[in-house]
Amino acid sequence: MGSVGTRILTVEDDERIRTAVKLALEDEGWTVDEAGSGEEAIELFHRAAPDVVLIDIMLPGIDGFELCRTLRRHSDVPIVMVTARNDTHDVVAGLEAGADDYLTKPFAPKELSARIRALLRRIRPISAGHAKLTFGDLEIVPDEGKVLRAGQELHLTKTEFRLLCELAQNPGRVFSRESLLDKVWGYDYFGDGRLVDVHVRRLRTKVESDPANPRHVVTVRGLGYRLQS
Amino acid sequence: MTNPAATELVAEPLDRGQRLRVWLGGLQPRRLSLRTRILLMFALGALLLSGFLAAAAYSFTRSSVVNQRDKSGIAQAYRNAQVAQNELSANNPSAQAAMDRLQSLGVATFAINYRGKWSTSSAKYTSDVIPPNLQNRVVGESTPSRMVTTIDGKAVLIIGIPLTVTEASYFEFVALDDASSTLNSVLLALLFAGFITTLAGALLGTVVASRAVRPLGDAAQAAKAIAGGRLDTRLEPTDDPDLRVLANSFNDMASALQARVERDARFASDVSHELRSPLMTLAASVEVMQARRDEMPERAQSALDLLVADVTRFQGLVEDLLEISRFDAGAIRLNLDDLLVAEFVRQAVAVSSVPTTPVQVTERAERVIIRGDRRRLARVVANLIDNARLHGGGGAEISVTEPEGEGEPLGHIWIAVEDHGSGVPLEERDLVFERFARGAVAGRRSTSDGAGLGLALVEEHVRMHGGRVWVEDRLDGEPGARFVLELPADEVGV
Repeated sequence: MGSVGTRILTVEDDERIRTAVKLALEDEGWTVDEAGSGEEAIELFHRAAPDVVLIDIMLPGIDGFELCRTLRRHSDVPIVMVTARNDTHDVVAGLEAGADDYLTKPFAPKELSARIRALLRRIRPISAGHAKLTFGDLEIVPDEGKVLRAGQELHLTKTEFRLLCELAQNPGRVFSRESLLDKVWGYDYFGDGRLVDVHVRRLRTKVESDPANPRHVVTVRGLGYRLQS
Repeated sequence: MTNPAATELVAEPLDRGQRLRVWLGGLQPRRLSLRTRILLMFALGALLLSGFLAAAAYSFTRSSVVNQRDKSGIAQAYRNAQVAQNELSANNPSAQAAMDRLQSLGVATFAINYRGKWSTSSAKYTSDVIPPNLQNRVVGESTPSRMVTTIDGKAVLIIGIPLTVTEASYFEFVALDDASSTLNSVLLALLFAGFITTLAGALLGTVVASRAVRPLGDAAQAAKAIAGGRLDTRLEPTDDPDLRVLANSFNDMASALQARVERDARFASDVSHELRSPLMTLAASVEVMQARRDEMPERAQSALDLLVADVTRFQGLVEDLLEISRFDAGAIRLNLDDLLVAEFVRQAVAVSSVPTTPVQVTERAERVIIRGDRRRLARVVANLIDNARLHGGGGAEISVTEPEGEGEPLGHIWIAVEDHGSGVPLEERDLVFERFARGAVAGRRSTSDGAGLGLALVEEHVRMHGGRVWVEDRLDGEPGARFVLELPADEVGV
């Protein structure tokens, strides 16, 4: 289902890996731009306007985390991090820097294209069927992809927005991490729950007036998360 | 790990020589501990010292007491002898007169030999009790002499003085009783003091021994801690120059060991990290080629198939290596969740290499939750299914059962994978969980595939989850192995 015109930017300092990944992704019908360093990536990003960015954390110069934060300042583009290990530190740091998903080296290119497809699918507007959802001072306009807090528009990434919309579809209902992983990221039973946890944390810093004491996105111990007014 | 074969003792009859040695060996004192030896040394030292001092004190006291007795006794005897001589030198001398005179002076125990005839002051001290050789020397040779003898079990000093002018001899008996009772009480006091000193020595020995042994105990505990994996254990630095040597060399050894273990672990981890980049390239390139498999000649297709299979296997091996080096570095952090065990096992089977593996769950086990890292535990199940696929003659069945009987509280859950292979011989049941055990366990050697780390990882993961894993025979008695995971579990509130 290679959507025509989809551009992917891969940032990886190992030229052979970059080339092989480019070949594999081009087989999916996507256009692939390559960058060997963070600086090059920032430059290319503005020129090529990619739909998805793939960033290896270990980069010379600006590292992957920094690059991710830099891109996040201007853009809500989906970002996939490539980590060396699936240790808590790298994964959580990558997600907190703004990545939407991560992969651990060595991964199969099929896995990568599956992840990219899930991210691209996420961009399309969800079938909310509601014109506008209100939770206290929070307003969600699914069709326009807009979220307002006290009338002020918030800048959410696509994944954060999708997560919020999932929670908003059934207000008050508790969503388990597994069901959110499935609905938002397209993962099966063995998805990484930290994806949900870190995204909820990121979402709170934006939608909550006091992220340390969330009023809207609340944790239900041992069960999952719930959205309330 | 225990090897049942190695612990079996072979009972053979002993020959006579052996029996003798065994018997003698039983008689030989067992080697004493350092603590006991120090204690004994102190006690023995105290005993010897106090014994020596007591002996010296006793002999000094004795000689001085006896000397004094001797001197005063002799002086008195000479005075009394002079009185007797005076009486016997008078007109009409008679022994009776001398005796009366002496008795009037208060002398009670004496004997006089006057011209061969004995006169005694009491029936007790007669000439019979005077030893013959003393009699000879005094009466016969006219030499003043003294002698200690025992009369009626009591020490008596007999002083014999020849009264030459009057052809008489005077003998006086001096009881030494009070002197010997003095000496006895002195001896008793000294023995008691010796006993106390020995006891004090033993007590001091105990204290010193425990102080001396304490650093050894510390070192032993530290060594045990290091053996248990806490490689950063060190001994406390000390001011004692003797102990400092022990502590320093122990700590140097521990540091060297730690550096070495860490270097080895880092090496394994570095190697696998380095392997990942080329593997990435391989995996991506192979996939690109595979997409064009149909365009290839038949021989190239066969070669590509081999390449694909082994790149996949290589990838799995590197992942296993990375994971196990993470275990070795203690860098594993479990991502714990409450999992419904039945759902978890079905999901894990679905993503394994044989998704069609049947799973049987007992009614009670359906309501059981475990606390675990779902992705790591899924690897455990996948590894066991792989193992059954490779070594277990193909298919496997999985059962989830509770070990506890009906009505008993549930503490654990068993996830068992049974295969149809040749089973695992008793002596290899621990070995199969060792790293790269495939080579060592010839019976389960596979021609190609076979993850050398799969079961080792299973064991590490299960241990991290506070559970156990073992292999046994199939429950139904058919040939085949049964791998059982035992994990801590809870029943969902009914």
